[in-house]
Amino acid sequence: MYNSDIPSRAELPTSRQLLRSTLIAIVAALAILITIVLPAEYNIDPTGVGRVLGLAQMGEIKVQLAEEAERDRQMDQNSTVLAPGSSLFGRVFAALVVSPASAQTASRQDVTTLTLTPGQGAEIKLVMKAGAKADYSWTVAGGVVNFDTHGDGGGKSISYEKGRAVPGDDGVLEAAFDGNHGWFWRNRGSADVTLTLKTSGAYAEIKRTD
Amino acid sequence: MHPTSREGRFGVRASLTRLVHSQGLALLLLPLTVATAFAHAVAEGDKGYIQEITGVHLLPFVYLGAKHMVTGYDHILFLLGVIFFLYKLKHIAIYVSLFAIGHSTTMLLGVYFNIGINSYIIDAIIGFSVVYKALDNLGAFQRWFGVQPDSKAATLIFGFLHGFGLSTKIIEYDISPDGLLPNLLAFNVGVEIGQLLALAAILIVMSYWRRTDSFFRHAYTANVVMMTAGFVLIGYQITGWFVA
Repeated sequence: MYNSDIPSRAELPTSRQLLRSTLIAIVAALAILITIVLPAEYNIDPTGVGRVLGLAQMGEIKVQLAEEAERDRQMDQNSTVLAPGSSLFGRVFAALVVSPASAQTASRQDVTTLTLTPGQGAEIKLVMKAGAKADYSWTVAGGVVNFDTHGDGGGKSISYEKGRAVPGDDGVLEAAFDGNHGWFWRNRGSADVTLTLKTSGAYAEIKRTD
Repeated sequence: MHPTSREGRFGVRASLTRLVHSQGLALLLLPLTVATAFAHAVAEGDKGYIQEITGVHLLPFVYLGAKHMVTGYDHILFLLGVIFFLYKLKHIAIYVSLFAIGHSTTMLLGVYFNIGINSYIIDAIIGFSVVYKALDNLGAFQRWFGVQPDSKAATLIFGFLHGFGLSTKIIEYDISPDGLLPNLLAFNVGVEIGQLLALAAILIVMSYWRRTDSFFRHAYTANVVMMTAGFVLIGYQITGWFVA
């Protein structure tokens, strides 16, 4: 090679050294796999070391998020499969019955209280018409939550605001389109929290959708 | 007082799949399309985890840093090029330290001052660093230009560029501002640990290879293959830039 000096045979490691290094590498890799990688990726923690290091929690959250995403995908799929079938009539019927109700934008107000255990999430949505507004305020007793204020409906989805580890929020929710608009909260703390949501404004219905 | 962080005010994301699924009939029944599910978009994996946590989590971030390095084939390829013709542990230590100083500096500064470079562009530059190192190993600069550019300086400079790649990635991860600095430092420690782990593995394999008589016959080809991989990385990233 033009660019380098050729080392003498003696400068290279011996076969014995190399085999020893390989063995050490394999053993180290196994130890890393069992105590670090498996807990952090899959929450598989046979030694308990991953829990102590805080890595099993990472695996736990990853697994939980993956399951939720999978459920989401399945629900999406189901809705396509079912749409042309029996649920057609159900949906038409429901549309006739419910539409007038959701069309009315009379003001209403509600107070909703829910408890979230560690790791638990909850979703509460207001059924709103495009441009309708609702005042809201929510507070958390006993801890903080992550939240995502968002909406979906008619094939659209929107995220209005997100936050992490907050004790409460208030403001005005203005629906960007017809559909369900509201909050997803998750308790990432280690104790139960109680969340109180006050809403008032132009929405037809308030419901828990998780 | 609880630490507060908020992100993304009014970020509209229209979900294409939902749009497709709810066509036709659903459009007629507009007020009723209550395909609820978890409509909040869930990020999965490392990103999802990072977006769920706040505060100081040192060991998880060490892990994430190490993981990024060990699974980051672009960094590994460059490291392979750097140590390809280094035999003495002392030399390896010098070059690897220069690379580490380089990428740590820009990674920390990049995240702290929120300097995010377009990830396609920075990753294309990292691909270029692989091409450069392969040509350097092949002695191309001496042949073509009659000069040998300072390999140590090149390693440091490319270290800076790889660091911007890391910082851009971390900014995409969207770490909570609460506990940012300790978490970043932990991530950086992880990057170094990951680099050492990857290096140890590369060195063992290289040592077996160097002992064979064919090493010097194959070294030329190996560097050409490495250069090819670098070009592929460049093309992959630049295409991504136009497509995305």
